[in-house]
Amino acid sequence: MKAETTYYPAVEQNERLGAYSGQSVPRVEDKRLLKGQGAFVDDLWMHRQGHVHFVRSPYAHARIVSVDVSRAEAQPGVYATLTGEEVGVLQQPYFQMAPEPGGLMKDYCMAVGKARYMGEPVVAVLAESAALARDAAELIDVVYEPLGVTLDGVATIEPETPVLHEEIGSNVAWHGVYDYGDVDWALENADHVVRIDRLHFHRFSSAPLETTGALVNWDPGTGEIEFRTNNQMPMFAAMFIGPAIGVGIDHMQFSSQDIGGGFGIKITSYTYLTALALLSRKAGRPVKWSETRWEHLAASAHGNERTFLDIEVPVMSDGTILGFKVRAFDDAGAYLRYEPLGAVIWSQVVPGNYRLKHVRVDYTETLTNKCPVGPNRGYSRLQHLWMIERIVDIVAKELGFDPVELRKLNYVQPEDYPYETPNGCIYDSGDYPTMLEKALELIDYQGARKRQRAAAGTGKRIGIGIGSTLDSGTNNFGQSRIINSALPFSGNGEAAIVRLDLYGEVTVTIGTTPQGQGHETTAAQVTADILGMSPDQVHVAAGYNKAANTYVGFSGTYASQFAVTGLGAVMGAAEKLRGEIIKVGACMLGAEESDIELADGFVRLAANHEVAIPFIGIAATVFANVAELPGELADSVTLNCRYVYRPPFTVPDHETKTGKLTLTYASQIHAAVIEIDEETGLVAILDYAAVDECGRKINPKIVEGQVHGATAHGIGAALHESFEYDSEGQLLNATFADYHAATALDVPDIRYDDIECPSPFTPNGAKGMGEGGGAPLSTICSAIEDALPEGAHIVFDTHNHSERVYELLRSAAAKGPRGVEVESR
Amino acid sequence: MLLAPTEYVRPGSLEEAIDELGARPGARVLAGGQSLINVLKHRAASVELLVDVSRLAELRSIDVAADGSARIGAATTYRELEHSAPLRASHAIIGRVAAGTVDRQVRARGTIGGNACFADPASNYPPLLVALGAELEIAGRGGTRSVAAEDFFLGLWRTAVGPGEVLVAIKLPPLGGAGVGYRSLQIAADSWALARAAAWVGPGDPIDAARVVLGCVAGTPVRASAVESKLIGGPRSAQAAAEAGALAVEGLDPPSDVHASGGYRRAMAAVMAARAVGDALGLAEEVASNGR
Amino acid sequence: MAGEGGAVHSIEVTVNGETHQVAVEARRLLVHFIRETLGMRGTHIGCDSGNCGACSVICDGQLIKSCMMLAVAAEGCEIETVESLGEGADGLDPIQAAFKEHHGLQCGYCTPGFLLNAKTLLAENPNPSEAEIRRALKGNLCRCTGYVNIVRSIEAAAEAMR
Repeated sequence: MKAETTYYPAVEQNERLGAYSGQSVPRVEDKRLLKGQGAFVDDLWMHRQGHVHFVRSPYAHARIVSVDVSRAEAQPGVYATLTGEEVGVLQQPYFQMAPEPGGLMKDYCMAVGKARYMGEPVVAVLAESAALARDAAELIDVVYEPLGVTLDGVATIEPETPVLHEEIGSNVAWHGVYDYGDVDWALENADHVVRIDRLHFHRFSSAPLETTGALVNWDPGTGEIEFRTNNQMPMFAAMFIGPAIGVGIDHMQFSSQDIGGGFGIKITSYTYLTALALLSRKAGRPVKWSETRWEHLAASAHGNERTFLDIEVPVMSDGTILGFKVRAFDDAGAYLRYEPLGAVIWSQVVPGNYRLKHVRVDYTETLTNKCPVGPNRGYSRLQHLWMIERIVDIVAKELGFDPVELRKLNYVQPEDYPYETPNGCIYDSGDYPTMLEKALELIDYQGARKRQRAAAGTGKRIGIGIGSTLDSGTNNFGQSRIINSALPFSGNGEAAIVRLDLYGEVTVTIGTTPQGQGHETTAAQVTADILGMSPDQVHVAAGYNKAANTYVGFSGTYASQFAVTGLGAVMGAAEKLRGEIIKVGACMLGAEESDIELADGFVRLAANHEVAIPFIGIAATVFANVAELPGELADSVTLNCRYVYRPPFTVPDHETKTGKLTLTYASQIHAAVIEIDEETGLVAILDYAAVDECGRKINPKIVEGQVHGATAHGIGAALHESFEYDSEGQLLNATFADYHAATALDVPDIRYDDIECPSPFTPNGAKGMGEGGGAPLSTICSAIEDALPEGAHIVFDTHNHSERVYELLRSAAAKGPRGVEVESR
Repeated sequence: MLLAPTEYVRPGSLEEAIDELGARPGARVLAGGQSLINVLKHRAASVELLVDVSRLAELRSIDVAADGSARIGAATTYRELEHSAPLRASHAIIGRVAAGTVDRQVRARGTIGGNACFADPASNYPPLLVALGAELEIAGRGGTRSVAAEDFFLGLWRTAVGPGEVLVAIKLPPLGGAGVGYRSLQIAADSWALARAAAWVGPGDPIDAARVVLGCVAGTPVRASAVESKLIGGPRSAQAAAEAGALAVEGLDPPSDVHASGGYRRAMAAVMAARAVGDALGLAEEVASNGR
Repeated sequence: MAGEGGAVHSIEVTVNGETHQVAVEARRLLVHFIRETLGMRGTHIGCDSGNCGACSVICDGQLIKSCMMLAVAAEGCEIETVESLGEGADGLDPIQAAFKEHHGLQCGYCTPGFLLNAKTLLAENPNPSEAEIRRALKGNLCRCTGYVNIVRSIEAAAEAMR
């Protein structure tokens, strides 16, 4: 195996996981949340604060000719305004991760000179109350000169298309070819080649229930900026904001509170935070902003929209799929905020769940006059994984293979792990065949096939679908160098401090930014196990706090990594503290360290439990009784133990685009039975099963809850949620009235099962999880296609509302092109 | 989300309400607010004065007469309609439609009068009221007048209720053994409708009377008169219902929007019409949800 | 709060048993009245079109969306918010306790609305089926739980309360 891999023997993992890890310990967070005492950002208040309202571009693409704020500023109670013209002077353009020419983009916190998507902020107005700010906004006169729009993520690269960023010279933000194995050889020598014209992954958002918000104060006295906000990756935000406004990160304080969901959509809010900071400085007041739902859906972040063209799949006569080649176009919207990282992140799962060896992806990241994208739940992997799963189903159908057997044949097998993929990633562990069996059992696959046959002629069509995906977790940020070799990022890390307070209280602080994943609870569980106490004796600080907690550059909560990085950091810190407590205890008891054990908040002799010192005694010796502390201990013991967990990564290779890009690979195999009304195309889910694998589960109930939530997001996107722009770039559904978020009537009861394949690469055998929302997209497409009549067009889009299904049903009789061709030799 | 400045008054009687509405051109009736508050939040219309009629006893009542006719106060909530035993006996369809309206929070405050007066093409009561032959009672300074449902809906978000007037009651003639069907094709359960069809068919065999009305296809409910003519004198058969559907949408050109293309709307209107007529003929099973 | 925003009304509203007499602008929504005027932060805002239910409160015994009602229209009403729930040893009522036991919440933002929904549902229907529960929850969105554990929590609460 690769030299840089660190193995944790199962024995060592087991030793670390004690009584509480693996238990569904009730959540510490719940009491305050159940009583309505959660502190969300809109609940916060600062003396003298003003409220912000953003005036936004009604046009998708327009030159800003003039801005007149005089009438607004004349209103009593209006404190200040901020225009794009001012921003262009007050701010350096944000650092770009893309190499040139994409990296030449000039991105500011508001529209400077030109607006590039409908809803882009153009002017900010600060007033005594939110209502007044809103009213004053109507007195601001902006004159626009509308420009031509470009809205198709593929056609946008054609010459003659309006260009969003003149500095770049085109709407191509990044381009690269990923080439592994020898797909030309495979296509030449395969028994069959299946050609799929086009697949499309649509634009939607996880849309957390709480929108973005912030309370920002640029203190005129100290020059420090305080950001109280629900941004879920604060240090990433700091790294962008700091250089843009010329403030050192040491002069920026970030804190989060309870966050009402994030799902990746609250990562790129650094642009709004910058605007709020500039406005605060100008007005000499704290500024408070609560995004409306319309603003959130139109102008926070969307998930990546990706089009796959000219897919060619070489298949052998026994069903072995050799690989595929594809041209992928990722529509990033108007600005690159977290992009173009998506252009490489998909390659964490190049072959999906399968043993495909020959893959070529010609990947273009493009720009259009739409809301910029952000790393929405499943970021960039779910697009690629969905395409692969479509390939598998289409190959099965076209070549007459059973979709279950074809998967089992091509899956990475349990005996293959650790499995190296074509680009050097290592799948740590898994067992897809067993998971598939379980999923099929949960939906009573045989019974469903019977129902399917019995439904013939009743006006209802039954379909059975399977979706296989992966949730790659704990990124190696060095993969950014595959996109741009000059980027200074590599590896990953999270930091934690576990300490004893003055009276021996065990306290944990972490660099993470939880939005409902239960970090306060699970961090307490693992700490309790290491220190030999119960979780309710461990206090974990809630939320992110740059001043009070510890952090590294990657601190935050995103990308399915907390169970590994966050808990890895906590465990490392707890073990350090354990060591120090034992050291002090041994000294105080006159014993050898090997004679000492920790239990119930006491340090005691293993051989005689009566001889014990409570943690308060240890703390007192170190903090208050210092004259009695032996010299060597006084120098080396702090009882304040910081640990940075760093997964064992090296820098991937820019030239070959290979490397170990992620540490862990959780997996999801879903199955569903659906019923389609032939006359209307309406889809009803009769049965849905989700089988999950994420290594050792620290808190099984929390894991299952994440699976339910991700599944609901996927079902919602598959059947109900899709952003629709008209031909002028107007987003037509920017409220929950028209963007239908799935309700309790739309999400079925989810049958759940899981298996545990501990990761050998992590300190606790756990894997990051929570982004498995791609599986329903595949599963429902699979089920719909299974229900369609012979000769129908393939299911080509992730979104299948009733009208699309209606068209698919009728495509069989229409006898037009089916979107797929087979060449058999 | 934040409303423009406005004024509010809650009159103690219908007479006072009419006075308030007549005193200012920018005055509007506020009942449950489940549609109007959204309009105000999005600043899609400006209202100078909101006249709150939601608590007027005169407007909140359900009276079912011995002959099976019903008079429903305009400010009666969906919830009250859903739970009214007399109304279930005389016109069960009204309560059934109420029970499937949006969600229970909306049903607690939203009113049938508000629904009728909002007159959105996707609103659920307008096509049904036309199919049932309802009469809508409007009161103003000049007194009270009755308008047939068919003449009440004038255009997109426009009804026969003029400035200074308020809808007071909805009167339903007795069903007298007629069958009623109502089907909606929605983007999700109990959600936004893409197609609606209401059918009312007299008890005779062959069919002696019929009204078939489509919603969601134009600015107002559309009576499919050609269908009605074809049904009358014909058999009470599934075939007749199926043909009614196709005929109902002939010549219709519904608009396209974010939810559906005009073509799909049209096709779905036909399916809903066929199913609604089938229900009215007593041929179909109980509707589970969403047009099924 | 000057009068430039329109007429100001003096209203009397009882919230969680306490009667308040306050001057409000006609245009002020009930949810802002609860959150900002009364300073009660447990009722949340999740949308701008009355679809998400995070603002749900009980008004005269009925579950309503407080963002879809003017404060002035709540004159004389009895409002109950999430802050009115829970007594007993750990301060949680049976519904709250069931949500805690069955992991019926993750980020907690939608939770107050769901708790009040469950309270009014079970008061009307002490033994609801799964279909009835889901129907009742239609007006409350959750983006974290997928509703599965919320339904289970309410089923468990119903059983505990029977």
